[in-house]
Amino acid sequence: MSDTRPDHSRDTQWPRFEVFQQSREGAPFHNVGSVHAPDEEMALQNARDVFVRRPKTVRLWVVPARQIFTRTGEEVEDDPAWREEMVAEDVPPKQYHVFRKTSQRRSMNFVVHAGEVEAATPVQALEKAIERYGDETVYVWWIVPAAAVVASDEEEAESMFSPAHNKDFRMPTAYRTRTMMREVMQRGEAQQEQGQREKEQNEGVRNE
Amino acid sequence: MERSDPTYDARLEAFEARIARGEKIEPGDWMPDEYREQLIRMISQHAHSEIVGMLPEGAWITRAPNLRRKKILLSKVQDEGGHGQYLYHAAETLGVTREEMLDDLLSGRAKYASVFNYPTLTWADNAIIGWFVDGAAIKNQTMLAQCSYGPYSRAMVRICAEEGFHMKQGKEMVIKYSQGTAKQREMIQDAVNRWWWPTLMMFGLPDDESHHSDTLMRWGVKVRSNDELRQEFVNEMVPEIHALGLTVPDPDLYYDEESGNWVYGEIDWDEFWRVVKGDGPCNAERMAARRQAHERGQWVRKAVAAYAEKKRSGALPELQE
Repeated sequence: MSDTRPDHSRDTQWPRFEVFQQSREGAPFHNVGSVHAPDEEMALQNARDVFVRRPKTVRLWVVPARQIFTRTGEEVEDDPAWREEMVAEDVPPKQYHVFRKTSQRRSMNFVVHAGEVEAATPVQALEKAIERYGDETVYVWWIVPAAAVVASDEEEAESMFSPAHNKDFRMPTAYRTRTMMREVMQRGEAQQEQGQREKEQNEGVRNE
Repeated sequence: MERSDPTYDARLEAFEARIARGEKIEPGDWMPDEYREQLIRMISQHAHSEIVGMLPEGAWITRAPNLRRKKILLSKVQDEGGHGQYLYHAAETLGVTREEMLDDLLSGRAKYASVFNYPTLTWADNAIIGWFVDGAAIKNQTMLAQCSYGPYSRAMVRICAEEGFHMKQGKEMVIKYSQGTAKQREMIQDAVNRWWWPTLMMFGLPDDESHHSDTLMRWGVKVRSNDELRQEFVNEMVPEIHALGLTVPDPDLYYDEESGNWVYGEIDWDEFWRVVKGDGPCNAERMAARRQAHERGQWVRKAVAAYAEKKRSGALPELQE
């Protein structure tokens, strides 16, 4: 194998954006994964290519990963000092979206939107979130500044999300392999039986 | 998180207890260094396999026999690209960058599934890759969907949901070939003969030679052994291959009444290692194709970066409606 190393400078590790998907009107947004992109516009395009190859998306959000404040349940418990921070009194409150993971069931989605809080800082937002949405075991908290959310354009929803609906050949249900295999097997058995009958008849003829 | 950390033993105990309870470990949670390293190794290799896996079939897109098959193959290859992205991003949550991983792949340091170093000689190979290679991959991925590391598990659940189509479109073609003309049956049998053994190798080394297995099983990264998955695959495939009037290229294959297993002959591990170490029929071709694609995409990366920069600096004129 060649030992020529690619030139790092020509590569581009663009910022990481977390991607949130809404699967139908009114459903809560959930985190599906992330993409790299040079800006929000490309992030939305990449998110569509990576996460919307199949139906079930009505809206996408992308958020620069570095703007998201995350704490796992374990981190919150292990480090009580996380709440301690110095905040000037005149910091105006901002809106934050609260996402959380409350289930350990098998899933392709991560944290789910729980609601919104107003707070001066992400840390304070998490404190409020724990008060308001911490009634059950929470394994992961994500605090997302509302101002950092870039949503897919409503006017472009049709061109963004509809094409996936016309590609039913992408679904396993479009293939009748089980039935086809059963039919082949039945034909095989029928042929065997037919062969057996013919054999018996021939033997019968010979015995006469 | 080093072992010299006085709290290490207590930490490890709590970590293992969480896994035993069926909880997922998430980015930010405490984990042993070895868990992190093994996962980076596994997930990045898996990502590389998806990316390189686009090549053997991708070569046939322009030669698809009809429009339906062309759309299917295009979508399948596009899915593999998407799967690579899910996985690179899952690995990134462990502290490695996608750039480093791509660098490893393009420089030839990284490993990927050796099955993709075999050539696709006829259209029938696409049928067999779907049924055998994707079928084997689903076995492994269904297991990994139960993995203890949250981001890897979620990527696997998403991939499994999409792979069902890959396997079935292949199986559909195999069934049609097997019920076709003598020439078609000959083509599909030839593909079976060439892909059977490389597919069995996909499950990895036999359990008694697989060095990573013990720790990986204890930490819930793997929940079933290589041999167990391989045997299950063989047991499911052989009766269907036979039902289609095709044969398995293994003179030692027999059905063992007692265990209910189809016992297969010896796998040529020398060949496996030869291919893994770079000396397979297509290793050089695959790497050359990846490097070329990367080089040729450079102007696109440059252009979008320049566009984003212009937008940021306000130098971009407003579009007139």
